[in-house]
Amino acid sequence: MNEPPSFPLPVADADTQTFWDAAADGRLVVQHCAACGHWIWQPKPVCPRCHAVDVPWEEVSGDGRVASWTVVRPPVLPAFAPFTPFVILLVELDEGVRMVGQLAGDAGELLVTDGGPEGVSMGTPVALRWREQGEVTLPAWRIVAR
Amino acid sequence: MSATRSVRQAAVVGIHALPYSKDMGMTERKAGALAILGALADAGLTTHHVDGLVRYGWETTTEMEMARNLGIHNLRVFGDVDFGGGAGPVVIGHACEAIELGHADVVVAWRARNRSSGGRPWAAQIMATGQDQFERPHGLVRPSDGMALHTRYWIHRYGWQAEDLGLVAITQRDHARRNPMALMRQPMTMDDYLASRMISDPLRLFDCCLETDGALAMVLTSAERAADLDVIPAYVSGYAAGSGPDCYGMTFYYGDDLGVTPAKYVAPELWRNTGLTPPDIDVVQFYDAFTPQVPISFQEFGFCGDGDGPEFIRSGAAPLYNTSGGGLSEAYVHGFNLLVEAVRQIRGISATQVDGARHCLATGGNVVPTGAVVFSKERR
Repeated sequence: MNEPPSFPLPVADADTQTFWDAAADGRLVVQHCAACGHWIWQPKPVCPRCHAVDVPWEEVSGDGRVASWTVVRPPVLPAFAPFTPFVILLVELDEGVRMVGQLAGDAGELLVTDGGPEGVSMGTPVALRWREQGEVTLPAWRIVAR
Repeated sequence: MSATRSVRQAAVVGIHALPYSKDMGMTERKAGALAILGALADAGLTTHHVDGLVRYGWETTTEMEMARNLGIHNLRVFGDVDFGGGAGPVVIGHACEAIELGHADVVVAWRARNRSSGGRPWAAQIMATGQDQFERPHGLVRPSDGMALHTRYWIHRYGWQAEDLGLVAITQRDHARRNPMALMRQPMTMDDYLASRMISDPLRLFDCCLETDGALAMVLTSAERAADLDVIPAYVSGYAAGSGPDCYGMTFYYGDDLGVTPAKYVAPELWRNTGLTPPDIDVVQFYDAFTPQVPISFQEFGFCGDGDGPEFIRSGAAPLYNTSGGGLSEAYVHGFNLLVEAVRQIRGISATQVDGARHCLATGGNVVPTGAVVFSKERR
C-alpha cells in the first residue's frame, strides 16, 4: 500500500519548540520582550530590538485582522490537492505581529472554497481556531463579526 | 584638491545563452560549462585567462567544481550569493568589485538551471525548518503564493487592476515574439490574459514566469583590457545591493512597512553609485518572476510616484522593459537572461532594440535580498 502524501512538517528547534508545544495544547504564544516590550514574530534567539536574551513567550488571544490573503489553486503539493481551492491569510494580530495561517470554519476545519475568498477582505476581523493536520496542530483563523 | 577615483572600471565582454527548452537533456553542470565556454569565445578569451568565478548560491555546481571541469588553473576570486533570484546583479557586483580592486582580471558569472525538467523545487521540501516551519505547513509553499500576498496588498493599497498586470504580460509577449530564442511566441490578448486560470489569486497563469531549462554566462574584465578585445563592451556604471529589515525568502511581510520590498533600499544606493537618475535610463530589465514586480519596480526605483507604476506604463512614459520577453515569455533562468539582455541592448543587438541605448538597468528578484546594476555604452 502506498503511503499517503505528506504535508510539510514543521521541524522545531530549541528556539521554536515552545511555540509548537503550546500549539499542541491549543495555546497561541508569541515572544514578548520583557526588557523593551517588543512583540517578536517569527521566533528569534534574542530580541532584535534591545538584544535581551531569553525572551519570554506570552499567550495571546489570536484575535486580529486580515492584512492580505490569497486563494490557492492547483498545482499544489499532493497532500493539499484534495483541499483546493483554500485561502491563506496573512493575519495581523492585535499585538501587531503578522502570522500566516489558513482560513478555517468554526470548528477549525480547513475551508474548501468555491474559489472565492469566502467573505475575506482587507481588514476583516478574524479569530483563532486550531486545526489538526496529520500529527501537527496548527493555528488557523475564522471570520468573526467585531 | 578633489578626490579622484583610483579604482578600475569593469566591463562585460562576453555573453552566451544555450537554447532554452523544457528539457535540455544535460546536467546543469554540463550546461553551465558550455555557457561559460560560449561566453569566453564571444569575448575572444579562453579558460586560460579566467581567474575568477562567481555564482548564485542556488547553483548546483560550485565554483571549484566548475574550475576543475574547465581546467582553470587558479581562482583568485570565488564566491556565491544566496537568496534565489535576488542574487543575479549581486553576483555581477562581486565580479566588478574584484576587477575594480585588481583582485582578478577575468571573472565569469553563470547560471544553469533545469527548472523545468528538474522539477519544482518546492515539491520536495516537506521538512520545514527555520522560517519555513511557520509557512509551509499552512500551504504557503509555492513562490506564487508568497507573491500573491504581496500583490493583493499592492492592489489594495494602490488600486491596481487585473488589466494593469495583464498589460505587462502582453507587452513582454510582444517582445518575445521578435526574439527567436524565446519559448513563448504566440500572440497574447487581454482576453487571453484574463481567461488564464488562477494559480494564487490574484495571480493568474500568465502572471507567472516560465518553467525553463536554461544556462547562461557572462564574462567581465577591466575596461582597459576590454579595449584590446574585438567586442563592444558593456561598461558597468554601478551596482548596489540591499536587504531591508526583517526580510527572508519571498515573504517580506513581517517587517514594519508592509508592501515595501528590498528594492526600495537598493534604489538610492544604485543612483548614488552610478551618478545616474531614472531619466538617464533608456531601457530596463526588471526581475519578473511575476508581473506585479514590473510596476512595483518602476515605483521603487523612482521612475514614477508611489502607486503610479501601472499608469506610468500605460501612458507610454515608461522606458521599454524586459525586451527579450523576460522571465514571463522568453525564459526563466533566475533573471540571468535579463542581465544578458541588458548587455545586448548596450551592444545594439536586441531583437527589441532601443535605438542608441546608452544605459540599461537590470534588477534582481525584489522580494528577497537583491541588487541592481547599470550597463552603459560609455566609460564613466
